[in-house]
Amino acid sequence: MTSGPDLARSPRLSAPARRAARRFAEVVCPPGMLAHHRTDRVLAEFEQMLAALAPAARKGVAAAFVALDQGARVYPPSRGRRFTRLDDQAAEAYIRTLLSRGPAAELVQRIKGLVVMCYYELPAVQREIGYHPAPYIAAVSRRRLESYGPQIRAGEAAVTEPDADAGQR
Amino acid sequence: MKVPSGLTTQAEVTGDVSVECGAVIVGSGAGGATMAAELAEAGVDVVVIEEGGYHPTSSFRAESVRALRTLYRDGGGGMTLGRPSVLFAEGRCVGGSTVINGGMSWRTPGRVLEQWSTQEDVQAISEQDMEPFFARAEARHSVGWQDPETIGRDSELLKAGAEARGWTVVPNRRNQLHCAGTNNCTSGCPTGAKRSMLVTSVPRALALGARLFADCRVDRVTRARGAVTGVTGHFVRPGGPRGPRLTVRARVVIVAGGAVQTPALLARAGLRSASGQLGRNLSLHPNANVTAFFDSDVTGWHGVHQAFQVWEFMSEGLILTVENLPPPMLAAMLPAHGRELGELMADYNRVVTGGPLVADSGNGRVRSVPGLGTQVFYRLTDATAARLVRGVELTAEALFTAGARRVLLPFDGAPEVRGPEQLRNLLARPVSGRSIRVYSIHLMGTARMSEDPRRGVTDSYGAVHGVPRLFVTDASLFPGPTGINPMETVIAVSMRNAHRLLERRDRYGI
Repeated sequence: MTSGPDLARSPRLSAPARRAARRFAEVVCPPGMLAHHRTDRVLAEFEQMLAALAPAARKGVAAAFVALDQGARVYPPSRGRRFTRLDDQAAEAYIRTLLSRGPAAELVQRIKGLVVMCYYELPAVQREIGYHPAPYIAAVSRRRLESYGPQIRAGEAAVTEPDADAGQR
Repeated sequence: MKVPSGLTTQAEVTGDVSVECGAVIVGSGAGGATMAAELAEAGVDVVVIEEGGYHPTSSFRAESVRALRTLYRDGGGGMTLGRPSVLFAEGRCVGGSTVINGGMSWRTPGRVLEQWSTQEDVQAISEQDMEPFFARAEARHSVGWQDPETIGRDSELLKAGAEARGWTVVPNRRNQLHCAGTNNCTSGCPTGAKRSMLVTSVPRALALGARLFADCRVDRVTRARGAVTGVTGHFVRPGGPRGPRLTVRARVVIVAGGAVQTPALLARAGLRSASGQLGRNLSLHPNANVTAFFDSDVTGWHGVHQAFQVWEFMSEGLILTVENLPPPMLAAMLPAHGRELGELMADYNRVVTGGPLVADSGNGRVRSVPGLGTQVFYRLTDATAARLVRGVELTAEALFTAGARRVLLPFDGAPEVRGPEQLRNLLARPVSGRSIRVYSIHLMGTARMSEDPRRGVTDSYGAVHGVPRLFVTDASLFPGPTGINPMETVIAVSMRNAHRLLERRDRYGI
C-alpha cells in the first residue's frame, strides 16, 4: 500500500500451530469455507493479521493454538486425541465447550473473532451476504463531487491558507 | 507513492538521521498535528515524528482487516488486563486516530470543563475561555451537520425508535466537507471528506515548513541538567526490523502519543512525576454493542457511519448511537460460530448495531510490565457496568420500538431476545460485569492537567511539572472523561496550549 510494515515478510505460525489453526478455522467459520475451498485464503489472511498484533499477543495466540491442540487430550469425549485428530462432531463440541466456559473462554473467543474476521474479509464471502461496497462508494463519491464540487474545492484549498486571525496570535 | 514535500518515510532513509529544530512533536494525531500546524504558522521550526506509516486518501478502500493491519496500533487488538478485558483501538498512521475514527466533533460539555476547573484547578478552561479555540477547530475541520442524502437507514431507525419513546435525539456534528456517506470512516475515508489530520493539519503544517518523519518510533526523551534536549528513535523497516536511528535536538519536546503511549514514553524517559499520577486515571468510555435484526433490508453500509446520537440520558453519563459494522467486524463480535454464525451473517443487510458510550470513573492505569512492555490495566466498576447494562437495555428498547424482531445482547451466555418484555425480564436479574463484551476507542487521562503538582502530571497548559521544556498535548491531559466524543476537545486544548507556548516563546527560544 504505502509506507509501513510489509506483511509479506512477517513471521509465520509454526507447523503445529498452523495445523491447529486450520482445524480451528474449519470449526469456527461457516461451512462455506470448506465447501468453497477457502481455508488457505483465510489462513493467509489470518497470518497477516497475526503479524500486525503486538509481539506478546502474537506469541500468545501461537501458544494458544498449540495448547488448544494438546488440551483436547484431557477433554473426556476426545478419548485422549489431539484437537487436530478429532472428527467434526467432537471438534465442534470441544470448541463449543472452550468458548462457553473456563479460564480460556475469553482468549478463545478473541481468537475466534480474529479467524472469522479474516473469513468475512474475503470478497467472495462479502458478495454472498450482499455486501459489495466498491460500486456504492464510487457512486456516492461521484454524487458528492457533482453536488458540491465548488464548495469542496474551496474547503480543500483553505487547508493551507493563513487563518484570518493569524497576525493576532 | 508520491509523498508530500517535508514528509520522510522509512523508504527514503538509508542511514542515521540527525536534525535540530525548535519543537519536536511526537505523534501526528489530533493533538500533535494541531500543535504542529499552530507552531509552524507562527514560524517555529517544527519536526513531527509519527510511528505509523503514511497512507494517503487514495489508498483507502473498504477492506477493514487490511485497514486494521496498516492503520491501527497492534492490528486494533489492544486489550486491557482485567476482567472483563476491554478491547481497544488506537490509530497508528500519519494523522493518528483521526484517520480511523467516526468523525464526531463535539465541544466539551460545559459541566465537564467546570469540573476540570474546580477539581484540578485547571486555568482558562471555562466554556468562555475555550470558545475561540472550539470555533477555530470547527472552521479548520469543516465541522457541521451531515447532508441529508447521506444518512443511512440504520441511523433513521434509531432516530425513529428513540423519538417514538419521547427521547431527545440530535444530529451528529462531524468534521466533514460534504461527506459522501461511504460508511468507510474506520478504514480511512476514501474521498477525503472526513477532515482528519491527514488532510488538514498535517498538510497545513508541512506547507508552513514543518518536517514529518513517518515509520519512526521514539525510544527516549533526552535530557541534560533536568531539562529536555530532544528525542531519539529509530525507523521501522518493513516487517518490523529496526532501521536507522533518528536523533532530534530540540528546544522543546511535545508528546502527543495518546493516553497509552504518552505515559509510556514519559516513563521510559525516567520521569517519575511528583504526583505519582503518571499513567493513572485512565478513562475509556466503555462501549458494548447490541445487534438487532429487522424483517426488511436496512443496508446500513449505505450511509454515514453515525448520523444521530440519543442525548436523553446524558445526565446519567450515557449517549446512545448506532453505527454500521463491516462484515468482518460484525462477525468477530457475534456470539456464534460455524453454521450458526453463517446463518446470522446471511442477514447482514438486515442488521443494525449500536450501543451506549458510557462516561466512566477513570480507574485504569498504564504501566510497563517486565517482559510484556506497556500494558493497560482497567477495572470495570460496578457502577460503570450497571451504566453499560442500562445503556444496552435502552438501545435495545429503541430498536425494538423501531421494528427490530430479535436482538443479541453483548453479555456472555445471554439468550436471543425477541421483544421488550423478554428484555425487561432478562435484565431484571443482575448482569455480571465480567460477562459484558466491552470495547473502547476513547482513551483519556493518564497525564492529567492540574495546577497542583501533587495532583497532576502537567500544569493547565500541558507543561510537565518539574521538567522544563517538556509538554504533553493529547487526550492523556484530560482530568476526567469528556462524556462525549473527545476529538474536538483534543484539538481545541492543543490550540490553546500552542497559543500559550507561543506567548512564552522567547523563554524557550523558539
